[in-house]
Amino acid sequence: MDPVGSLLDRPRFYYNIDGMAELGGSVMCLGCALLLWLSANSVWRRISIFAFIGLMLVIHYGTKAIKTHITYPRTGFVEYRRRYRRLTTIIAGALGALVPVGLVIGSRRHWDITTPASLMGLVFAAAYAYQIARPVRWKWVVVWAMMLGSLVIAFVPADVLGALANDSSAAHPVRAKLGGTILLYLMIYGTMLLVSGGISFWLYLRHTQAPAQEGR
Amino acid sequence: MNQQIRTIADLDRVIHEPGRLMIVALLFAVDRSDFLYLQHETGINKGTLSSHLSRLEEAGYVEVLKTYRGKVPQTLLSLTGAGRKAFEQYRRKLKEAL
Repeated sequence: MDPVGSLLDRPRFYYNIDGMAELGGSVMCLGCALLLWLSANSVWRRISIFAFIGLMLVIHYGTKAIKTHITYPRTGFVEYRRRYRRLTTIIAGALGALVPVGLVIGSRRHWDITTPASLMGLVFAAAYAYQIARPVRWKWVVVWAMMLGSLVIAFVPADVLGALANDSSAAHPVRAKLGGTILLYLMIYGTMLLVSGGISFWLYLRHTQAPAQEGR
Repeated sequence: MNQQIRTIADLDRVIHEPGRLMIVALLFAVDRSDFLYLQHETGINKGTLSSHLSRLEEAGYVEVLKTYRGKVPQTLLSLTGAGRKAFEQYRRKLKEAL
């Protein structure tokens, strides 16, 4: 890539300079895993949609508060281009809608989509590598761990996955094995993102300091 | 060869300076940012960055907005329409020349 092209990419990488994108992702993954577990209970099932909305609000406003009070005073404020933000939202929304639709269709038609679903981690690892790991060398360890995790999940015996999903609502909408796969993904990837985001945030705090006053 | 030299000679001198090229490229990718962000990303000191921004403002490529974040003064910077066009043209010409 030409040097000017690499400069154009820098604002995109800046979004995760403090590890907030990863920490937000980890809270979402671990929170969804917890909700799946809890919603096996009928009381929790009734309020799970509100709990999910609450989780999204915590992620949105929590990230915003940390950016406003820690990141912007230390390394500066950036307002991203509206077209780019809209495109990201559309892609995330489309992917978010396609996954449950695919799972429901697959489970209704009794397709064995467990193995392809297990390998979706490879797609996630590729997206993580492209969006987050490219400018930070040590994050390639996380990419390899994600790829390895995906392959390991694909070879976990069906009865283990079934047992994992047994006490959660993941066993109800889709078959137990697929439910177990999803739960395992959410827990493993959520933990990886939590560790990686935590390290990034710690390094960010260590290597930057809030200036007393900005001037020009 | 002559054509190449002519294209290089036609490059926008305001943008062609390495410090200003970094500033314009960073601002091109965002809606707006503050002074601190540009300082952090370019590694240029306050004085030099300020003089580059003044030059870009004079050329009509950068818009400067002085505001406050709480009680702290904040300088918000964005590329104008003319600045975006000039940068696109600069990149096109540079590719032609190389």
